[in-house]
Amino acid sequence: MIAAGGRRLLAAVNPAAAAAGLAPGMPLADALSFLPSLATAPAEPEADAAALNRLAEWCGRYSPWTALDGADGVKIEITGCAHLWGGEAALAADLARRLLRQNMAHRIAVAGTLGAAWALARFAAGADRPALPGPGEEQAALAALPVEALRLDPATAAGLRRVGLKRIGELTPMPRDALARRFGTAVARRLDQAQGQVPEPLSPLGEAPTRRVRLSFAEPIADPADLARAIELLVDDLAARLAREGMGARRLDLAFHRIDGRVEHIRLGTARPSRDSKHLAGLFAARLDTVDPGLGIEDVILAVFAVDKLPAEQIGFSNGSEAAASSIAPLLDHLGARLGFDALSRIELRETHIPERASVVTTIAPKPPPQPSPACGEGRDPRHKRGRAGAASKPPRPVRLFTSPEPIEASWLLPDDPPFRFTWRRRAHRVYRADGPERIAEEWWLESGSGAADAIRDYYRVEDQEGRRFWLFRAGLPGSPPPRWFVHGLFA
Amino acid sequence: MSRPTSRRTSSLSALRDQIRHLEEPARHGVLPFGVTALDLSLPGGGLTLGAVHEILGAGGDEEDGAAAAGFAAGILARLGAGPVLWCLRRPDLYGPGLLAHGLDPARLVLVTASRDEEILWAVEEGLRTGLASGLAAVVGELGRLPMVAGRRLQLAAERSGVTALLLRRWRNAAEAAAERDRPSAALTRWRVAALRQTDIANEPGIGRPCWRVELRRCRGGAPGIWDMEVADATGHVSLSAELADRSAAPAGLNTEPQYRRAG
Repeated sequence: MIAAGGRRLLAAVNPAAAAAGLAPGMPLADALSFLPSLATAPAEPEADAAALNRLAEWCGRYSPWTALDGADGVKIEITGCAHLWGGEAALAADLARRLLRQNMAHRIAVAGTLGAAWALARFAAGADRPALPGPGEEQAALAALPVEALRLDPATAAGLRRVGLKRIGELTPMPRDALARRFGTAVARRLDQAQGQVPEPLSPLGEAPTRRVRLSFAEPIADPADLARAIELLVDDLAARLAREGMGARRLDLAFHRIDGRVEHIRLGTARPSRDSKHLAGLFAARLDTVDPGLGIEDVILAVFAVDKLPAEQIGFSNGSEAAASSIAPLLDHLGARLGFDALSRIELRETHIPERASVVTTIAPKPPPQPSPACGEGRDPRHKRGRAGAASKPPRPVRLFTSPEPIEASWLLPDDPPFRFTWRRRAHRVYRADGPERIAEEWWLESGSGAADAIRDYYRVEDQEGRRFWLFRAGLPGSPPPRWFVHGLFA
Repeated sequence: MSRPTSRRTSSLSALRDQIRHLEEPARHGVLPFGVTALDLSLPGGGLTLGAVHEILGAGGDEEDGAAAAGFAAGILARLGAGPVLWCLRRPDLYGPGLLAHGLDPARLVLVTASRDEEILWAVEEGLRTGLASGLAAVVGELGRLPMVAGRRLQLAAERSGVTALLLRRWRNAAEAAAERDRPSAALTRWRVAALRQTDIANEPGIGRPCWRVELRRCRGGAPGIWDMEVADATGHVSLSAELADRSAAPAGLNTEPQYRRAG
């Protein structure tokens, strides 16, 4: 039942109501006069759409190429998959059986084109009788169907009927350009699509995986140990395939198809390409507790969405940094799988005098850890260049630096003096000693400079009554307008 | 007659070895500080490797963890050249500052997590991965450290040989007061406070920064307090020259009022 323009209309009817003469679009008042005992419920298009989406996802067990078809259908591209199920008829029977178990009314058709399948499913298939025309019978089956089966809008279909064209078979011999002139291009296009003269690709639900391995069980399983074993088998299978191709997986999805038609996912990314089956299985197993098996799981499908080249494994140890980086990679994958790869970062030193730009926190994923390059070589291996000698010649720097400097209330005597007292985070600090100022200006040669008076900072290192050492700065030049003070970092 | 005896003694010594192995946690060596007074207080003459060590701040720094980070950086600088997993709430570490205490920031892998439980988990995973990952150490910045969690970390560290430094960093003074003296399963508990220099009253500037390093708890060792210069660019600490003569301050001396915040 839907509310439209102040009236309440029927959105859908069940078979019993249809038998009593009710039809979608009928006002509720009329329907009740036909059938006073009619039970109604408000229509929930969003919930319907969500359920259909779930169904389409579940249909992924038959083929990775599944998609929604309008508001009431699911299309599955089974070319090249049907033989896995023992043929198209066996696949349709399996699908029907499983849908029935989920208590889902359905009509199934298999055809050579999307258009024909659409037409057959809606106008030829019955509740327990899938439409499965043989290779030569498809056009004949199509010809017998009404013109509405061509996926036309109601006005066009009505126009065809007005001139006596009721069946698809009556349209076929007509010249296409005459059809297009009289009824618009849609009729001719739909007809050609249904007959396979114009290709109509299927765009799958979500992203199509590049590689896929599947495991089905004769009996649904729910025990975590069994699921873990299934994961091992799938991952071994995938790893063998990746090894043959010289590739490693970067992004994976493990889908658990439950018998009630729901699909549970574990999605993973890796810090660097991997085909180590033990490692990958471990990553999945660690997340297995997020999977609710419900009444049982009948299929597990492991799909790979992104791969990278991974040359044949090198056995043995080397002292290179590359080896060190790759041996820590499993740990990083493990951490990233739970905390997200945004949580993993490293510190890069840059050659600049702007404090917050001299040390940059960069995330590790999705690209592999930064390789030493001439540009950042300075930062990557600073021990030789600035370590012992460099640190002494440079002014001291704090161990902790706030991303955004925190404003403080400061009191000072002379314009060029450090404060003698300041309040930070509601704590008062008396300044006993201070070093400074160290003037740091914007990099004026960069376009991004703010250009304001704040662009000049005078930094002071001050020690308070506890002996804690702060890195303060005054933004703006002494004098008017009154300068503002910030704490930017803390010394150890 | 002599053969059974020798067999018995050899099997006895094998048994003794086994017992020693069972009684003692796996030994992974120690890292001396290079400061005699400090090393003498520690079992084995240095910081036990493959174990958990707590480092606390003092005063307002209990929340900000600056001195603790500097002290940890000095230890990490001398602890191999492998990567260090540093788990913390906000990545507020500053590379040049760490470098000044000897720690090459390129060795760090930062793990940012907002909750203590996640940080504990990350630290434990790091410890469990063991030396195979090439990790030199794991650092965790933690507010709360439940006894059970601490014991798990200690076991993981003993098993793998990776050293863990837990920087205790509390959100506010109330949490600090509640947690500061709670016992834990860590092998040692250090407290590092910035030390205000009163001796050089008439000299301008800050001078050479110093810490008051306090070994508050140490299983199998002796607690003590030392005033020392902060870790240098090689990660070494040294007893500060003008303070050296009173560095042997007896342990247990209540020094709290000297550096605790008044308000």
